[in-house]
Amino acid sequence: MHDLTPQLVEQVQQARAEQTPLQIVGGNSKSHLGRATQAQPINVAGHSGIISYNPTELVIRARAGTTIQELESVLAEKQQRLPFEPPQYQGLATIGGTVAANQSGPARPWFGAVKDSLLGLGLINGYGEAMLFGGQVMKNVAGFDVTRLQTGAMGGLGLITEVSIKVLPQFNVNKTLVCELNLQAALKQMQVWGNLSVPLSGMCYWQNKLYVRLQGSVAGVEETCKVFCKALPLVVLEDELAQNFWKKVTERELLVAQEKQIMWRWSGPSSAPSNALDNTEFINWAGSERWALTTVSDATVVNPHVTQYRGGDRSHNVNPSINAHDQALQQRIKHAFDPDGLFNVGRLYSWL
Amino acid sequence: MDALSNSNHRLFMAALAMCLPPSSIIVSQESQRPFECDGLAVYHQLPMVTVLPETLGQVQEVLRLCSEHGVPLVPRGAGTGLCAGAMPHAHGVLLVMTKFDQILLIDQDTATARVQPGVRNLALSEAAAPLGLYYAPDPSSQIACTIGGNVAENSGGVHCLKYGLTVNNLLQVTIVTVTGELVTFGGDGLDEPSMDLLSLVTGSEGLLGVVVEIKVKLLPRAPRVQVLMAAFDNVISAGDAVAALIGQGIIPAGLEMMDHLAIKAAEDFVKVGYPTDAQALLICELDGTDAEVEEQLAAVSLCFSDHGSYQIRVAKDAQEAAALWQGRKSAFPAVGSISPDYYCMDGTIPRGQVAHVLTRISELSQHYGLAVANVFHAGDGNLHPLILFDASIEGQLDQAEALGGDILTLCVDVGGTITGEHGVGLEKMPQMPYQFGDAELAQFRRLKAAFDPSDLLNPGKGIPTLKYCQEYRSLQHA
Repeated sequence: MHDLTPQLVEQVQQARAEQTPLQIVGGNSKSHLGRATQAQPINVAGHSGIISYNPTELVIRARAGTTIQELESVLAEKQQRLPFEPPQYQGLATIGGTVAANQSGPARPWFGAVKDSLLGLGLINGYGEAMLFGGQVMKNVAGFDVTRLQTGAMGGLGLITEVSIKVLPQFNVNKTLVCELNLQAALKQMQVWGNLSVPLSGMCYWQNKLYVRLQGSVAGVEETCKVFCKALPLVVLEDELAQNFWKKVTERELLVAQEKQIMWRWSGPSSAPSNALDNTEFINWAGSERWALTTVSDATVVNPHVTQYRGGDRSHNVNPSINAHDQALQQRIKHAFDPDGLFNVGRLYSWL
Repeated sequence: MDALSNSNHRLFMAALAMCLPPSSIIVSQESQRPFECDGLAVYHQLPMVTVLPETLGQVQEVLRLCSEHGVPLVPRGAGTGLCAGAMPHAHGVLLVMTKFDQILLIDQDTATARVQPGVRNLALSEAAAPLGLYYAPDPSSQIACTIGGNVAENSGGVHCLKYGLTVNNLLQVTIVTVTGELVTFGGDGLDEPSMDLLSLVTGSEGLLGVVVEIKVKLLPRAPRVQVLMAAFDNVISAGDAVAALIGQGIIPAGLEMMDHLAIKAAEDFVKVGYPTDAQALLICELDGTDAEVEEQLAAVSLCFSDHGSYQIRVAKDAQEAAALWQGRKSAFPAVGSISPDYYCMDGTIPRGQVAHVLTRISELSQHYGLAVANVFHAGDGNLHPLILFDASIEGQLDQAEALGGDILTLCVDVGGTITGEHGVGLEKMPQMPYQFGDAELAQFRRLKAAFDPSDLLNPGKGIPTLKYCQEYRSLQHA
């Protein structure tokens, strides 16, 4: 529960002076993501604690090393939640890492991704300067949006020191509905329901079953439940089973890669056909996120929607390839933040 | 940036004439006059030349020419912006994108639309309406403003409390870079394995590239929408009611506040039945299923009356709801009708600071001797103080700007920002060094250089140079 910003700044400045590349480590819960890289670790886990939390403002500000588990338990005391429902990864995941790796849970299509709740952050750049962008207010368009730029950057633009997040009230009621359905029909149904103005917060397809999560006001959930149950032979899943199911979806524990297996993630339009990703085993986000397992690695990822999410050879690029002009632009942006190439070099792409 | 020499000017204009039809090039002062300013007319400047290209290839060619000749370029949509972000450069090209006004696709299956940048905000919602869909960000200027301009400014509106700003409603944006290349950010899905360049380019005020195509998310129309109005006899109670409502976990689709001066002006202007004796008025819109709206309506009414509202009016039908909104949406022109000129500010503050900030604005108003009407997105803490002045009286514009500057620094002092949705443009450059330190500003400049190393895109706007900041600070300390 300490502010270690001065020490972190000093470590970055020293690394710059010695030209030592750094690997940013928080809870070390996401080492399986991105490319495998080697560099001197700079530890952010100790830089933790909530800086401010005002429930009536719906804003929480915390140091980057604060765990998602701690944030969610502090919010729960005031009946509030993180809208993007990030994984906790056995209590190890930190808010800094969650932002850098852009980790959103099953509610994402309805309640937004990390960026949609992100109001501001602190960042140490490659010059060893601690900077603050955005803030704690709901609307802020002064200067470039350096805050949201960090989501998905995998730490390549600097070390995130703190984060301010818009939070939302917890739901009054949860209800999960399930029924057996074939893949084509499930995809179509998810698309139709996904475009309605109803209190949905999750829709996925797993082992020939469609799972629909309704969360919101008592009246709204009941009303929608009735409408949906008329369309399909849905049954209400028992509360504990439902909670376990969505927890596994959030924690990415539903689909488990065995040794030598590769887990593929597809992120594309919900209207894509059922064969958009070969060997699809799990469909999340009402069809916008699909997952597959294989035992053979493709040498390079070319499908613009597919990522080699977990497992396999991680020395080559695990994200879709992009054209030379776009590469050059991203390299210039990286250089604008990190001219000496100190932070997480090669983690997102071999050339970045 | 200096003017081109006579010979270079001739060369540049000849090259421009090669890539654009004559009808797309405006050079005469008289014909360029309508383009000399945006919605903040106190800042105006005629450009060297105004161009209105018709094809993507022409836009790319114009940018290539500007790069080659070192000519500054300012992009412009409908010119409804309120920060002089689209004010032309004296020695540059004004690139007007209004001819790109086609909705390319509305996809009902994915509830998305692909549009050209010159499509008007309201036109998109109108086109999507038969499918039961709409585009959520709705700036007050939505009848005229373009989606391209909305992307450049990251525009908000009365419904962004629940549905977010422009940045929260985009899937993909294609820009033309300063060297004329096409680059697309975002994609067909809900995320990309990349740094979030789509968010970076949103709200970048034409400093990083020219927006040429946009894919947006559309939302389903809620089965029921209910609007109510609550009158209060003081602004503090109304401010407290807003904080209490949000604190209870109720997020209305829109929650707007007007003070006495704004209420009176709006009522005189559009006659929608606002209580003109009220010191503050809240307009609240709830949406959702029938049952959800019914439940929230009861909770909101209770919260407002608990906080001292002496009159609550629930719109009986869509017509009455539209009338209640019309008053709010006409507040700017209404204030314009009671004062020769007005100056609209755009600070955002933590909701809990509303009462304090309104009190302080009232003190500043007395100090400067200029009336201030307050109209704002109360749910977001986004203030729009309207400073009333008369530009024909010598010194009043300077006084209005000074008062505006004080209001913005006050917003920063209470933990807010100098602009919630209007952008920095030319107008708020003096306040940027107050909100940001040298390291952040230098970072912005380096980021700008990564896209536009010669500083040709909308130069002198958005991000001040360090030299500008040093001069600003030495003035403050003088």
